[in-house]
Amino acid sequence: MSGLALKGTTWVTVRLHRRALWTAGAVVVLAGAVIGALWIWDARVPDTYTQGGQTLPARTDTGRDLLSSAVGGVADGMLLLPVLLGAFVAGPLVARAYESGTYKLSLTQSVGPAAWLRAKLLTVTVAALVTALALTVLYRLAQGHLTDTRHRDFDLGPYEVTGLVLFAQLLAAVAAGALLGLLVRRTLLAMAATGTVLGVVLLVLGSLRWSLLPVRTITGPNGDMLMPRDNGLLMDTGLLTSTGARFDREICWQEANAAPGVDADHDLWITAHEQCLTRNDITAQYVDYHPQSHFWPAQFIESGILLALAALALFAAFRVLRTRHP
Amino acid sequence: MTRDAALAAGLLGLRHGGRRGRWALRECDFSLPAGRICALVGPNGAGKSTLLALAAGLLRPTEGHVTAPERERIGYVAQDKPLHPRLSVADTLRMGRELNPGRWDEAAALRVLADALDPRSLVRNLSGGERTRVALALALGKRPELLLLDEPMADLDPLARHQLMGLLMADAAEHGTTVVMSSHILTELEGACDHLLLLAGGRIRLDGPVDDLLAAHTLLTGPVADLAPHTVVESRTTGRQLTALVRHEGPVEGPWETWEPSLEDLLLAHLRTTEGASA
Repeated sequence: MSGLALKGTTWVTVRLHRRALWTAGAVVVLAGAVIGALWIWDARVPDTYTQGGQTLPARTDTGRDLLSSAVGGVADGMLLLPVLLGAFVAGPLVARAYESGTYKLSLTQSVGPAAWLRAKLLTVTVAALVTALALTVLYRLAQGHLTDTRHRDFDLGPYEVTGLVLFAQLLAAVAAGALLGLLVRRTLLAMAATGTVLGVVLLVLGSLRWSLLPVRTITGPNGDMLMPRDNGLLMDTGLLTSTGARFDREICWQEANAAPGVDADHDLWITAHEQCLTRNDITAQYVDYHPQSHFWPAQFIESGILLALAALALFAAFRVLRTRHP
Repeated sequence: MTRDAALAAGLLGLRHGGRRGRWALRECDFSLPAGRICALVGPNGAGKSTLLALAAGLLRPTEGHVTAPERERIGYVAQDKPLHPRLSVADTLRMGRELNPGRWDEAAALRVLADALDPRSLVRNLSGGERTRVALALALGKRPELLLLDEPMADLDPLARHQLMGLLMADAAEHGTTVVMSSHILTELEGACDHLLLLAGGRIRLDGPVDDLLAAHTLLTGPVADLAPHTVVESRTTGRQLTALVRHEGPVEGPWETWEPSLEDLLLAHLRTTEGASA
């Protein structure tokens, strides 16, 4: 790190926050070391050959199990990254300068307020993106080793980490931290406020992310449950009447459950259930789902919203700075 | 406003806390010629720090304007001497060099430190006086044309104060630096300053070259009598004896003994009366 010729406000920012930067570097190295060690352990246990000539990991491969949970841990941990980054920007980076009065020192050197804030935010953003990129690469490598990654993973964690959303979240975190740090001007309060605001925004966006794109629907005759072919994300399944109206499966299940004597005799339950279906004119079933091809559009929509919010917060932050200091 | 003013203000005002807030400074009008050493005095809460922060470009005025050199050419030391506690002394000076490219004068900064500090020691382990030294070193290393110092010597022992004041004055004289220095310590100002700005209640009460201000005032003692047409700054009577400081209109003629007041006489008289007025 000392080999880089840092200058001006960037040098000062790095010097002041070197412990945080070292911590970020240490986390990456530690994650790499743990995953690397487990990978080697996994490689030393020979795979089992099944009759069809397929190779499968051995049941006794503890290294592989641990690797799998470590990789999951990396993905989960990275969900926290934006909140941690936002709190860091709001507290130690911005609000502390006001709480301790060092802004009076920084803003009376030759660097203007806007350049001061810009350099601080840029330094931290670059450091955060590099950290996230390193962890993402690590995750993708290890996950590729463990499973077939031709299919995109829509789960919370892998979804953010394997796309753009994590990076958009990090940029939004920097912007929100800058704005709240400037407004609150107390280190701990600013950190708490930013953590809360970011937590709420990210949770809301996360829960809305699959409602922003229209679902694809397939229908079929009532019988075994329909499954979309390409490992998409199931949103809703249910029954259809002959007119095509949707009908909740639960209704007939509950009716069958309430029929007398079904606890003892399962056939009775089936009869009651089928009677209910016939009575309600059920002829088909449907599945609403997001196909694999929705992965990137959903990533772009969510990232776009986050980047728009980040731009607004950043604009507001520089406005606050400009009204406060000439 | 004169063309060679180093610092000037026009109807400058600053209000804290929005529309219903308190005015920290109001209707400040002055012009400080370049090269002056100006003492900024006034009771606590008079607005001295606010005026210096406005001049340093840290605060945006609520009304009026302040004319000062741009940020690069101002040196400012705030009252609480803010420094980054986790930086070493050497790193703090490096910060000065990094943040003032093309202006930084390491030798000027090191002269202030005067080998009194280990460059490796962390700022948070320094005493108040040592922090003052580092803060002044940063300000002087910048080679400012206008040096704004808020209570610069308050944390220093008399010896260090004398030494630093000497250094400051020599540096200012050598480079023609304009200095505005707020202080409570009147002896610190006597002899060092050639310009005076007295603030009270957020307004300017006295403004001018020290010599002119002293020459415009007369200290007199004698029998009680009407002091008109002179403006009485402060007067005291003990028995039939009157002691007064007046701003004279024409020569003071009367039954009194008169002499020119010292800077301390002048300041104390004005500070006492403004205190009485605000109480």
